[in-house]
Amino acid sequence: MKLVGVCACTSGIAHTYMAKEKLVKAAQSLGHEIHVETQGTIGVEDELTPEEIAEADAVILAVDIKIDHSRFEGKRVMEVPTSVVLKASKQIINKIEESLNA
Amino acid sequence: MAEGTSQEFNISNVIDEELIALDLDVSSKEEMLTRLTDLLEEQGKLNDRKSFFDDVLWREEQGPTGIGMGVAIPHGKSSGVNQTALAIGTSKNPIEWESLEDEAVTVVILFAVTDGDSNVLHIKLLQHVAMLLAHESFAEKLHAVKTPAEMLALLESSPDDYDD
Repeated sequence: MKLVGVCACTSGIAHTYMAKEKLVKAAQSLGHEIHVETQGTIGVEDELTPEEIAEADAVILAVDIKIDHSRFEGKRVMEVPTSVVLKASKQIINKIEESLNA
Repeated sequence: MAEGTSQEFNISNVIDEELIALDLDVSSKEEMLTRLTDLLEEQGKLNDRKSFFDDVLWREEQGPTGIGMGVAIPHGKSSGVNQTALAIGTSKNPIEWESLEDEAVTVVILFAVTDGDSNVLHIKLLQHVAMLLAHESFAEKLHAVKTPAEMLALLESSPDDYDD
């Protein structure tokens, strides 16, 4: 499946980027395509394009702070704290896949 | 390195052997944070020790900085920081630390980040370390480090070197 994600943590220094690495590696190892945007202390990086969002089967928000959801209206969105991604990135992706197939 | 061939993208911009203290005989989180803050201060990375320390403790209250695998990554983004840097301490004794799995830690990586418009290169280097820490096999190697030089070499590795 095709996934997009956004990672953002309290200070925007460490957890954001750990979570991104976890999501990207987990998705790759499970054979999915993923694009992950980070919103950290130096701003937005790898910003999701409207095309990437439009094509995505689901959205993963790994966030510890409030972020703008409006880009993802009408999409299947799973929102979790970054800590959950650090612990269980593959399980999250598998869960999304199951829910899409249900 | 992960970011290509740029000479500047080198971990030595944010840490050197003087900021690494191995096998410390500390037994509490506060003791460890104090020792690492000492290193940062001695190396001229802080202009206001107290304000940095308070900002680190404030961040600790916002949520666990233990990331599992016996590693913690406390961090302070603070006006008390002169120059963005890392300090790494390992402890002989397991230290109680709030973490995702409530396990003690023996490796602590303290991130000291300048407030306001930070140097992008420095932040990218911290990102590099955070990405390394996403890999359990990297964390295992952290615990096996015996010298500061080995620690620096490990930090120079690429997240893509780890396949878990």
